[in-house]
Amino acid sequence: MKKYMGNKLAIFLFILPALAIFLIFDFIPILQVFAYSFTQWNGLTTPTFTGLENYFRLFQDRVFVTSNKNQLIFAILITVYQMLFATIFAITISDAKMKGRKFLRVAYFIPVILSVTVVCQLWSAILSGQGLLNKLFEAFGSDYTQNWLGDRYKAIYVIAFVNAWQWMGYQFALIVAGIKSISTDYYEAARIDGCTNAGAHRHITIPLLAETYKFCLVISLTGGIKAFTEMNILTGGGPNKSTYTLTYMMYNAAFKKSEYGYGLAAATVMVLECMIVMLVINFIFRDKDQRKEEERSRRKRHAD
Amino acid sequence: MPTKPSKSILHYIFVAFCWLYAAFSLYPLIWMLFYSFKNNQEIFVTNPFGFPWPLHYENYITAWTKYDVPLYFLNSLIVSIGTVVITIFCALLFSYATSRMIWKGRHFTRLFLGLGMFIPVQAIMIPVVKVVQGFHLTGTRWSLIFPYVAINLAFACMVYYGFFRGIPRELEEAACMDGATIYQTFFQIIEPLVRPATVTLVIYIFLNAWNEFILANVLVGSIPTLKTLPLGVLFFQGEFTTDWGGMGATMVIASFPAILVYSFFSEQVENAMTIGGAVKG
Repeated sequence: MKKYMGNKLAIFLFILPALAIFLIFDFIPILQVFAYSFTQWNGLTTPTFTGLENYFRLFQDRVFVTSNKNQLIFAILITVYQMLFATIFAITISDAKMKGRKFLRVAYFIPVILSVTVVCQLWSAILSGQGLLNKLFEAFGSDYTQNWLGDRYKAIYVIAFVNAWQWMGYQFALIVAGIKSISTDYYEAARIDGCTNAGAHRHITIPLLAETYKFCLVISLTGGIKAFTEMNILTGGGPNKSTYTLTYMMYNAAFKKSEYGYGLAAATVMVLECMIVMLVINFIFRDKDQRKEEERSRRKRHAD
Repeated sequence: MPTKPSKSILHYIFVAFCWLYAAFSLYPLIWMLFYSFKNNQEIFVTNPFGFPWPLHYENYITAWTKYDVPLYFLNSLIVSIGTVVITIFCALLFSYATSRMIWKGRHFTRLFLGLGMFIPVQAIMIPVVKVVQGFHLTGTRWSLIFPYVAINLAFACMVYYGFFRGIPRELEEAACMDGATIYQTFFQIIEPLVRPATVTLVIYIFLNAWNEFILANVLVGSIPTLKTLPLGVLFFQGEFTTDWGGMGATMVIASFPAILVYSFFSEQVENAMTIGGAVKG
């Protein structure tokens, strides 16, 4: 049996296709990102090694600061918007007696399954000078009409909103799934103890969703750091480079200016930022578990 | 769930808010559907908000005949189906070998492929373009299919791994006794047992590939004959567009398959999309 399940040829044939495709089209590329970020490369000739020069140039670039600021705004805005609304809706809908739950779930989730380009195109039609939003203001007789994506101080918030609008339903579905997995016994016990609905959610639902929230945080914070598509479609990084992010810097440097090495340095910083955020979130949440564990063992000792 | 006989005012505020937000979530899409049936005059002046009447269904004919929509549609379909088939095939074999077969380094190999979950697509777009050129795939649909397979593999393998672990060893022992080869055992006995996972993954990967933009943009963005629908939609980019109805119709056509899949398999789609929650965190 061991020989049967250890058939060398079969193992080789089974892992080969997946491993080859993964190596060639995913793993080696990310290594190349790191490696070529230390070179000057126009994409055609052989890259020449220049050490940390790209990074020095990057850290002095004013667009680098703007990009990081934009990523931060983007990340915070989508995190707050999505997690807040998703939590409110998921908890309200978890009430089995509520009418139209199925419809609401579909309504929230539909934007998630649409292509990001359709969503961006749609919102660009809504937000443009002649668009739906300005028409709405006109209809109410307000003169608050403007080109929503044309203002260098507001554009990034508008872009982040479009992303938050599309993906709120995703976090909503995650939290709904999380709530479903909580045993109803807890709520039964809480009710017997005379706990109110709000109290039960505050002390049972939200703490037990820690794992779900951790995941929500990871995807929305790293989503902010990786932001690119919305900028690319809605503003093209403008007006006046005010909606750049690191990914957009890379895209622009490589495909518009043929400065591949410089672009890859920006990409490397972006990947590192993602990793740091993931590590920090894991640390914060693990810390809580550990603290609980420590607390418990301390109490045990006292009891003895 | 907690239910008390008397509901607080707060509860009704939340319920009202839920419905308001649902309208906010749906109305832009309904508006898109509406304006795909209007002409420019109606969109901008006479009827920007409401139901379109008379129906200008000729927008759809224009989109279908004038804007290469059938070509984009076909490209999207071929690329998505190709991605699904190859990803599922590779992931099935790989996960079987790493979860049930016995060899040195199987854990390492599995975890190595799992690294794919942490590689952002945004970061690798430049090298992927170079790799695709290096293999002389530029100008073919393979230039999209292979990278799509690569970025979906890690997740698919992770899901299959969990399923394969739950199958009892006796099945393979019995098959071995009966003289089946390892290939027969896998394809005839084991593979049918993980069909539920396959269904979930097919939906997930199909939607991913159908909607993918970042890699498609740099790989085939400049090749008109290979553009997929997400790129085709951008043909109408900016405010310089003159035919808004045609743009709306194209967007509706581009969204239609995803919405169709969702309306038939809404539960599975939500499960498929959120299954990452269990693995990725």
